[in-house]
Amino acid sequence: MKSKFYIALVTMFLAASVINASARAAPVRKKLAIKAGSIITITGADIRNGTILIEDGIIKAVGKNVEIPWDAFVIEAKDRVVMPGFVLAHTSSGLDRANENIPEVPFLSTFDSIDPVSFYFEDSLRDGVVAMLVLPGNNTLLGGTGTVVKPHGRTVEAMLIKRYTGLKISLRPAGNTSRMGHMQRFRRYMSDLKDYLEEYEQRKADAKEEKKPFDEEIDPRKQAMVDLLNIKLTAFIYCDIAADVPKALEIHETYKFNTVLVLSPDCYKAAGLIAQKKLPVILPSQLVVWETNEETNEEEMKVIPMIFHKAGVKFAFQTDTSQYGSRYLWYQAATAVRHGMKRTEALKSITLYPAQFIGVDDRLGSIQAGKEATFIFLTSDPLDAQAWVDKVMIAGEIVYEKEKDKRLKKLLEKPEEIQKPKDTD
Amino acid sequence: MRTCVILLSFLLLIPALAQDEQSEVTAIKAGKILTISGSPITDGIILIKDGKIADIGTGIEIPENASVINAGQKIVMPGLVDASAAPPVRGDLNEEHKEITPTVRISTALDPQSKVLKRIVQTGTTTLYVSPGLRNVIAGLGAVVKPTGKIPKEMVIKEDAALTIVMSMDPTYGNQTPRSQPPRNFYFRRPTTRMAIIWMLRKSFFDAQKYAASKEKDDPEMQILASALDDKIPVRLNVRRAINIRTALKLADEYDFQLILDECTEGYKVAEEIAEKQVPVVLGPFYYYPGSLGQSREGREVNWNNAGILTKAGAKVALTSGAQAQSIDLLTAAAFAVRHGMPRDKALKAITATPAEILGVADKVGTLEKGKDADILILSGDPLEVTTRIEKVILNGKIVYKAE
Repeated sequence: MKSKFYIALVTMFLAASVINASARAAPVRKKLAIKAGSIITITGADIRNGTILIEDGIIKAVGKNVEIPWDAFVIEAKDRVVMPGFVLAHTSSGLDRANENIPEVPFLSTFDSIDPVSFYFEDSLRDGVVAMLVLPGNNTLLGGTGTVVKPHGRTVEAMLIKRYTGLKISLRPAGNTSRMGHMQRFRRYMSDLKDYLEEYEQRKADAKEEKKPFDEEIDPRKQAMVDLLNIKLTAFIYCDIAADVPKALEIHETYKFNTVLVLSPDCYKAAGLIAQKKLPVILPSQLVVWETNEETNEEEMKVIPMIFHKAGVKFAFQTDTSQYGSRYLWYQAATAVRHGMKRTEALKSITLYPAQFIGVDDRLGSIQAGKEATFIFLTSDPLDAQAWVDKVMIAGEIVYEKEKDKRLKKLLEKPEEIQKPKDTD
Repeated sequence: MRTCVILLSFLLLIPALAQDEQSEVTAIKAGKILTISGSPITDGIILIKDGKIADIGTGIEIPENASVINAGQKIVMPGLVDASAAPPVRGDLNEEHKEITPTVRISTALDPQSKVLKRIVQTGTTTLYVSPGLRNVIAGLGAVVKPTGKIPKEMVIKEDAALTIVMSMDPTYGNQTPRSQPPRNFYFRRPTTRMAIIWMLRKSFFDAQKYAASKEKDDPEMQILASALDDKIPVRLNVRRAINIRTALKLADEYDFQLILDECTEGYKVAEEIAEKQVPVVLGPFYYYPGSLGQSREGREVNWNNAGILTKAGAKVALTSGAQAQSIDLLTAAAFAVRHGMPRDKALKAITATPAEILGVADKVGTLEKGKDADILILSGDPLEVTTRIEKVILNGKIVYKAE
């Protein structure tokens, strides 16, 4: 009898704690409904006073007249703009060191180098980024493969979205090498690889002929480059000057890679060439450059996103954490809009397009039924300089709340009264 | 003598001729005019004559011969004033022959052909304060200039606008004492510590006081320091850390000079003391974190809302581009200051009227009022939106930039 009483008490406690937890609204719930003042779906039209229905972290429905099931937990966001989180298609931040000092290291992975406690990831989440492709830096010819992570989690494993995504090829000669030597090194590597593969196939054929078992695996040091040739990996080719672009295109044609170009500001001069090949592009973080026109000797402003936009190139923005403004993806998009880019297209360049480039558009990049419930809740329009990320939801779980952001508070509020010394000198 | 008179009268004629040429009237019709000095004017008109604002308001009659700029529903505001800009000069900004160089004038090094000028204009800045670099304790005299003119003199609107003094650690960087070897280069010099910086400052002021009291007036360097102590030239003290800001406030009390605080990275820590003394602040470049933008120097405890906290305490704050050539424009600086907590109206003033006051050129620029220079921006929308673009920049009544 007594034990029964205890069981009842424990059950009550448990029930109470569950209710308590629901009051905090943090844990993953099976069914969620977000009632938002405004929903930017990216792929469809914006929805005023709409509802997003979520089940097990996946979007079930989105629209104006979505019926909310009786057992769904409702998140009221009447004064918020809800949109898919930003996606960063290229970064080499958050690594302890971005470049290996040996030029041919395609077998390396940023997975081993990502520092989960780096401020960079904390800042990214605060700024509304929900997925990023961390690639090796631009100083290594064959730098290694990238890792798609979300900027949330205490270990790389917890942050992981997709391992083994993209391989960095940098056309910028490192150290004392010239461009001639750099390109030659690349061609030699590829011809050696071709020889190796031919011999490998020969051995395989021989084994088949002799009816012997063939269990030789591809050299793990070459595996990534082989996967590049088999289009299992995407080549992210960095072009440091405009003259590197034709070389990148030649590589793309010769080896039939799946290619994304990572560009420096100078590469705007090759926008037409890139447009012909219809290759996706990651723009430099510096969007406006000044140049002296050699004919008129006048200073001219070049707006890089507009040049590519007009040429019809599909692009994604990247950021620079050290710069005022361009450390934010929304700022990059707003800058493009300032110079005449269409708003919808600019928003796609920080959500859907980068998600496509890094192969996560089946889950992220837009608000559509079937995609992951990963959103940012903004205080106003995303391109408004006064808009803040109020909440971030990743797969149905709220992982960031501005009001609980202690570091942000410290960076914006006056410190506690500092004792004023009687005499200072 | 006669030739002299003829020549002089001829010289006088040249500006007169020039004036004649542009004496036609320009009228700007705009949906919204942010005067900064007063409340915004809806559907207003600005009349420009001889490069000045001849009239501003609603229902103003536009003269028949006037050329009209119809800004439609666009927003019009005064040209921006950058109280700490990268100087359009060629060569180094630091005179290296000694540590105390009050007679060094940036105005003598201005380059009207500098390519930077066109960029500056396109960001909406029509008035800027430029100064010698920060490697000397007393670095020299800054000037207020406009990004226009064919010769340096035409650019300057206020010569000897302030005396730049550096109390941050910059004058010590890399310095060594010639202990075991004879001095080989510039870096074998004083000061090497903060103590020495402050000692050198005190010594200079002490000498200047003595000089002012004496009858012999033959030292131009002392003369400039004496005029600073006499409140004729304001002193712009570059300080970053809170401890230095306090020392600056104390020195200003002690020697009774007109103080302007420069950079003030940790100003938010001593906001009340700065406000109490009514000392204006010209903020330096913005850092998200120490270490970003190559900031390895002092003032490492940043607060994103430095401008807002100082303003709230009651201090007069100017936002600047931070004397960095490739830095952000003033409108963006203001937009981010508001984002981080500065009131909107104060932020707009902090890039127009407030720096004009601090620089002592408020009679000419900073607001849209009758009689002031016709430095006007026409914007596509709200000045504090990143999506807003500058459509036209009018400088001294002339269109100097037009967006394509």
